[in-house]
Amino acid sequence: MNAKKFRLSDAAVTAAALALGAVLVFPIVYCFLSSFKDLGEFMAYPPTLLPESFGNTGNFSKALTQTPILRFMLNSLIVALIGTALRILFAAMAAFAFAYYDFPGKKILFAVVLAIVMLPDDTLVVSNYLTVTKLRLLDNYLGMCITSLAGASQMFLLRQHFKTIPKEMYEAAQMDGCGSLNYIFRVIVPVSRPILMTLAVQSFIGFWNSYLWPLLVTNREEMRTVQVGVTMLTTLDATSYSLVMAAVTIVTAPSILLFLILRRNIVEGMSSGILVG
Amino acid sequence: MLISPEGAAGPSRPPRARKKCRGKGYLPYLYLLPILVFAAVFTYQPFFRVVVQSLGTVGAGGKFLKFVGLDNYRYLFGNGDFQNAFAVTMKLAAMFVPLNLALSLTIALLCSKKRRLSPVYEMMFLLPMAISMSALSMIFQLMLNPTSGIVNHLLGVDWGWFSDPRFALYGILLVCLWMGVPFDSLVLLAAMRNIPPSMLEAATMDGAGPAARLFYIRLPVLSPMIFYIVCTDVIASVMTSGPVMIITEGGPSRSTTTLIYMMYTSGFQSSNYSLAACISIFVFALTLLFTLLAFSFEKKVYYQ
Repeated sequence: MNAKKFRLSDAAVTAAALALGAVLVFPIVYCFLSSFKDLGEFMAYPPTLLPESFGNTGNFSKALTQTPILRFMLNSLIVALIGTALRILFAAMAAFAFAYYDFPGKKILFAVVLAIVMLPDDTLVVSNYLTVTKLRLLDNYLGMCITSLAGASQMFLLRQHFKTIPKEMYEAAQMDGCGSLNYIFRVIVPVSRPILMTLAVQSFIGFWNSYLWPLLVTNREEMRTVQVGVTMLTTLDATSYSLVMAAVTIVTAPSILLFLILRRNIVEGMSSGILVG
Repeated sequence: MLISPEGAAGPSRPPRARKKCRGKGYLPYLYLLPILVFAAVFTYQPFFRVVVQSLGTVGAGGKFLKFVGLDNYRYLFGNGDFQNAFAVTMKLAAMFVPLNLALSLTIALLCSKKRRLSPVYEMMFLLPMAISMSALSMIFQLMLNPTSGIVNHLLGVDWGWFSDPRFALYGILLVCLWMGVPFDSLVLLAAMRNIPPSMLEAATMDGAGPAARLFYIRLPVLSPMIFYIVCTDVIASVMTSGPVMIITEGGPSRSTTTLIYMMYTSGFQSSNYSLAACISIFVFALTLLFTLLAFSFEKKVYYQ
């Protein structure tokens, strides 16, 4: 009897969870389904969820050929790769110094790096814009990620990890004439691959999704990132809402695929990231 | 006197230093150089510039003209636009934080026990994380369109979600919730699964029902994490600007002008750098308060 009661409540919980889940994924489903509608269908009253047919792929081909979204995606990819590579590299170097060396000023410098998380990027954009203008980095891939290259939380997590690698190993390697750079690439990087991967995925998503800063530092259309570009499609052709939805579907599809493939890394990165803010 | 290892400065602990880095004393500084340079140029330098600019008049291109003390702040606090932006931001935070927490907790509770369909609905809850803020904003803009949007039709209403000052902030709130809920429920779920099952079993043995287990075991164990989430959510909602920029541009009639959006428009559209700087500092002070609170709760977070 008890078991039966349990099963009943399980079914109720499952139903509630599925209903709530359906509400949460609804915008994604709506976007996907709307991509197959032509304009008349999209504007028709009463509005429908399902398109008349899934054979109408005209919006997708139009989005690919008549809008620069492929270029936008390439831009985002380049920016996210540069940003991720540099951020993780700098964070790993700093983490190595903090984990393996004692030096005057270590505590202060550690605090200086960590305190970065207390100064939100978005409150500094006006001032940073002036700096980047002076450096002539407008409409430049490096300029689009340059303000977020000092990754304090990445440094912190890597330092915690590096500290678990026995120091004796480093000392032995030094005895054998292995320099510190050599040691980083031959020992630390291979040993830390999982956490480096997790942090890289998390950083990549952050750069890929960033909006405000890339919006500010790009003027030329061909330099826009995908997040900025996709919001400007409405101004290209004011009425093609379903075309916009097709474009959003195209740019979101890779993220969803990557999310499904790298789910573990993403979930880990997010839950470890939250502990350092 | 005892020399504590913590208090000892560089020169007073040569044995360890010598053992750790042989010869090349500059090496650690070399490794720290890139992160410090970028932090200095793109975090600390703008921060100090913002502080200075907020205390003076600033001309074109961000040139500092003269020191005026706290006049800018006095002007800011008396400014109707700022009072409106502050009220809008607080209203958004006051709605976002409790709703986000309630929804995330509900989801975490629904997921806490593994069931046959768990992988399906867990994926549904997490999937919105794969979609970016700007893509989501575009979708909501069309989905909540008063006439051609599906939501009004399903609800049987004719609300002008983003065109009516009475509703626009709720529209923005919805976008914020979609961005916030998946992440917070993930964090809460992880924390909830860290609760030792034996604890819950023991309570069940003692006759505690589901409600008692929730209020006397789960929530108390989760409370540091909940407070932490509340703090980070307050910060996130105070920093809201993306959906506002994409969907409403602060309107209609200022009803969605948040602090960061006002900072952005005063800096970039009106070139009023001092005003933008004052808002930056104000937002910074607000977020600092909650960051410090979040850190103090984070220390109490129950680790495995």
